[in-house]
Amino acid sequence: MDGIELEILWSNLIGIVSEQAKALQRIAFSPIVREAGDLASGLFDARGRMVAQANTGTPGHINSLAAAGLRLAEIFHNRLVPGDIVITNDPWMSAGHFFDITVLCPIFWDERLIGYIGSTIHHTDIGGYGIGAGARDVHEEGLWIPPLKLYEAGEPNQTLHDIIRSNVRTPDHVFGDLAAQVSSGRAGGERLIALCKRQGLADIEALADEIIGRSEAATRKAIRTLPSGTWRGESRFDVPGGDIITLKAAVTIDADAGEITIDFDGSSGASPMGINVVMNYTHAYSTFAVRSCLNPEQPNNHGSLAPIKVKAPKGSIVNAQYPVSVNARHVVGMFVPMPILKALHQVIPDRVLAEGSGAVWTVQIQGKRETGEAFTSSMFNYSGGMGARLTKPGPSATCYPTGVAAVPVEILEAAMPIVFDRRELRLGSGGKGRTPGGDGQVIGFHMRTSEPWLLNAVPSRLDRGPDGLDGGAAGAPGRFLVNGKPMSEGKKMMMQPGDVVVLETPGGGGYGAL
Amino acid sequence: MVSYSLAVDIGGTFTDAVLRGSDGSLVVDKTLTTHHDLLEGFFRSVDLTLAKAGLGAPAIDGVVVHATTVVTNALIERKGPPTALITTRGFRDVLPIRNEHRYEMYDPQIEFAPPLIPRELTFEIDERVLADGEVLKDVEPAQVEALIPALRAANVASVAICLINAYRNGANEQRVAEVLRAKAPDLYLSLSSGVAPQIREYPRASTTAINAYTTPITEPYLRGLASGLSKAQVANRPLIMLSSGGVIGAEVAGRNPVRMIESGPAAGALAAAYFAERLGLDRLMSFDMGGTTAKACLIEGRKPLVTGMLEVDRKYRFCEGSGMPLTIPSIDMIEIGAGGGSIAYVDDLGLLKVGPESAGSEPGPACYGRGGMRPTVTDADLLLGLLDADNFLGGDMPLDERAAERAMDVLAAELGVSRDAATSGIYRIVAEAMAGAARAHATDRGVDHRGLPLLAFGGAGPVHACAVGELLQSAAVIFPPRASVLSAFGALVTPVRLDLVRSALGRLDGLDWDEVRRLVAEMTDEATAALSEAGSPAGGVRLKVGADLRYAGQQNEVGVTFEDDPVSARDAEAIRRVFEDAYFAQYGVNPSHVPIEVVSWRLTAEGPEDRVHAAGPSGAGEGRPIREVAVPLWPTAGPAKVFARPSLGRGQRLEGPALVEERETTIVLPPGWSATVDDAGCITAKRSA
Repeated sequence: MDGIELEILWSNLIGIVSEQAKALQRIAFSPIVREAGDLASGLFDARGRMVAQANTGTPGHINSLAAAGLRLAEIFHNRLVPGDIVITNDPWMSAGHFFDITVLCPIFWDERLIGYIGSTIHHTDIGGYGIGAGARDVHEEGLWIPPLKLYEAGEPNQTLHDIIRSNVRTPDHVFGDLAAQVSSGRAGGERLIALCKRQGLADIEALADEIIGRSEAATRKAIRTLPSGTWRGESRFDVPGGDIITLKAAVTIDADAGEITIDFDGSSGASPMGINVVMNYTHAYSTFAVRSCLNPEQPNNHGSLAPIKVKAPKGSIVNAQYPVSVNARHVVGMFVPMPILKALHQVIPDRVLAEGSGAVWTVQIQGKRETGEAFTSSMFNYSGGMGARLTKPGPSATCYPTGVAAVPVEILEAAMPIVFDRRELRLGSGGKGRTPGGDGQVIGFHMRTSEPWLLNAVPSRLDRGPDGLDGGAAGAPGRFLVNGKPMSEGKKMMMQPGDVVVLETPGGGGYGAL
Repeated sequence: MVSYSLAVDIGGTFTDAVLRGSDGSLVVDKTLTTHHDLLEGFFRSVDLTLAKAGLGAPAIDGVVVHATTVVTNALIERKGPPTALITTRGFRDVLPIRNEHRYEMYDPQIEFAPPLIPRELTFEIDERVLADGEVLKDVEPAQVEALIPALRAANVASVAICLINAYRNGANEQRVAEVLRAKAPDLYLSLSSGVAPQIREYPRASTTAINAYTTPITEPYLRGLASGLSKAQVANRPLIMLSSGGVIGAEVAGRNPVRMIESGPAAGALAAAYFAERLGLDRLMSFDMGGTTAKACLIEGRKPLVTGMLEVDRKYRFCEGSGMPLTIPSIDMIEIGAGGGSIAYVDDLGLLKVGPESAGSEPGPACYGRGGMRPTVTDADLLLGLLDADNFLGGDMPLDERAAERAMDVLAAELGVSRDAATSGIYRIVAEAMAGAARAHATDRGVDHRGLPLLAFGGAGPVHACAVGELLQSAAVIFPPRASVLSAFGALVTPVRLDLVRSALGRLDGLDWDEVRRLVAEMTDEATAALSEAGSPAGGVRLKVGADLRYAGQQNEVGVTFEDDPVSARDAEAIRRVFEDAYFAQYGVNPSHVPIEVVSWRLTAEGPEDRVHAAGPSGAGEGRPIREVAVPLWPTAGPAKVFARPSLGRGQRLEGPALVEERETTIVLPPGWSATVDDAGCITAKRSA
């Protein structure tokens, strides 16, 4: 296939899933999907290999979806008929916690299976503990949906629907979002068949081979430009409750084979909090880190991910084993790229960035209005500073590796009796350096209520700020203050009417000694 | 007695003028845009057109409508005078914090443009309005007065005032403005509660900052325009095209320059709507392809779709999210980096890519012979025989075929294919890119693009439209007359109109109807005053109420317009019905039992519609082909017949492969397509079978 035919077909495949992802994002009830684009959409060949991925979504979802598609295609091999639709939220099979539900729609052209359209989105509720890291094991965290058929030959699987309906707090929203996943999968399938007809293809097997083959070859070629050897990086950070987590990454570049292996040997063991990360999610953020430095402009698919191998000791915090709790896995997962970037800094100093604040800080509030009516806010979030780059400072109040947008102050004030006292940059919190780290921010608020209220805040890096690179200074650690007193709490807190909360998010690390 | 109206559209490269007589006559001309002083080009284009028509300026006794890129230029060049921002204490970083979003996930080297107003020119005052509009803390006038020395020291000419929750109650912003007006009357003031009274502090502050930043540039510009016209003894004051597709008096426009952004492209979309009306088509997609970008806009119910949000000056690799957000009513368009100047190259995966990098006009495509070495879309079009090297811009700009060949051969060698395969590949890939973007745009709005007719204009639009139409399964591709000055034409066929919006978050089942009626009445007063200032007769103003609604819990609103005013009737049920229908049309589902929320109320005020139609071709003559050319895109179809557009008569039918040459563009009719010339002068192409 020449570079002209392939470009036309490939860009069409990416177009199909990107359109479906955009439609999903617009229609979703789940605020984190709408605001943060916390979703992924991908197109798979009949063997379950991800061939194209939407140009939107978070790394944790996208690369986990690639693994989920492969696994589900294997499980349902020879067991699918037209009209079937597959579902799971198994943390170990897809994106690492129950909130993320993956829906895979087989595409049948006449009676022939030619591929799948899959999506993962973060749902509004999944029963159990709800948002937060406080469950004692995974079963307390909500409804576990094993790989099952959500639709069978076009008919809803009523048993499964009833089970879901009885086990979530917001069934209308969950079913609304599931319906969106199903309809976008179906629409994407129709588009794929139309494309095949227009281009005279009987299936996408040869096209998938070409895309995956070229992507894999290009990634290997990019790796071959690097020197062979093993480089090590280590990141230490504290999590809610005060525990210090260490992630160690040994990055081995095999330039001859064009392969990179990342080994998390020596990293912390499992946590009693629900911040443990399944292998899929560790893999997702590891491949993300490598690819964003190596060849960020190339599309993501089975082939471009293949030359990057990830290992972690079983039972470590980055290879969580049943039945540990995993609900707030992003709290640790978003730090996964950092030791890798530190290792790569020794190889490609111009393409990495210093440590940043890591996980976004999330907040949820429950309480009563002056009228006595109870309210529960949706989860909202704030970023610290990003780490500095070799020639550019770190952006302030911007998160990495995820790219979540914040909910506006005015939207929050309109939705609940909260008053923000301030939201401004935390000047000087970025680490100094030849290029400085990005500044964190200061958010202050109080509630207009005469009753006690519940605060569920998940801060991180309260003890140690993000490290600088190459002699650059560390960013300032974060501070979580109630009435001026520092807190480090991993669970929901009972608050009094007049309490004033201040969140100071960490600054990013600087780059280069001054 | 013939009456004449005038429209002038100042674009990035050309300034176009259209003079229209009440008898349907049209005289058009264009001149290069004069970036050092835009008005110089304005009056030159007017003089050229009047000379062509054999008329003097006093003959222009109808409307004078102007679309201009002045605001966009001011933002891109960032040459505005020092501008300050006043915020609520604790919120001075509203611009640099943005919405925290990292718009490009995979690029660790991402950049954000510095805010339009720097931190050192942002000032905080003690005041607070709550979300329900209650004033928790009043403004202290002394505190505002104390800011004046710092404003003076920095030579500030214009001040943006954006306080928290001012979308709900602008009293504190008014108070700040009163103090400044009294103590520093020369300062231009922009209040967020007046410019963009919508919830969400960052986009509102960004919109207000842009307004403040551009006011000191646009005010003198519009004053110069008005005085120049009156000096030339043109009877009427000028009207300005807005990005919403509205047209309003220059004085009103000058107070809110932010509404003038994208005024040229908006006029183009209105021209498309005009042809939809003229041809009796309810829906179509406009397709405007120029030198660096292509734009598409959906026309539904013979009107362009309007959105409440747009972004200007995308700084970083044209990425969505890298520019400045604006919350103003604006024609809903997509723009992609695919134009005649787009550069073709082979990427690391061995794929042929086209754009978004453009050769621009300097050095331009290789065939311009100005030192461009890389092959572009225009080079491919030339080598495919679609453009005539000796007849480009009517022969004013001969093209260098050899230079195009040299550039193309390098690319072909890299791809390992023949020159013809490379040129055909560029032609196909650019069509795929545009069709893909158009499809995404339509899907995102819940519109089925299949079967929508395409209306093609711009210098490169007619060359590529049928290829795009083929991919989009368009029912027809329409080539309007005078496609190269279509935006100016669009400005002339639009009634005087203003679109206003006010945020007022509330559950539909518990609306404070008195408050809603107050908001609508306020907008009605503002709109009718503006329309009468623009010369609309008092009795001829049509008002339409609209709203942005969503299901509670959602973040994105759906905008609807009501045929009958539901506010005076206090008819929540009618509102629900219209919203649910519109929601279903976009998303195909209606979540049951979820309460509905109103986010904003809208009002559109429109003056009387213009009914004069431009005359089509005069005769029913049969234009003959002027030559034949072999086109490598269609190796088995035989040579394409080449026609000159002015020679084509009413009702004439053409069979592809054929080319129809105009001065600024060429219509490409592929094999398997046929076209007819209609009474309005449009050429409509369809797949033969």
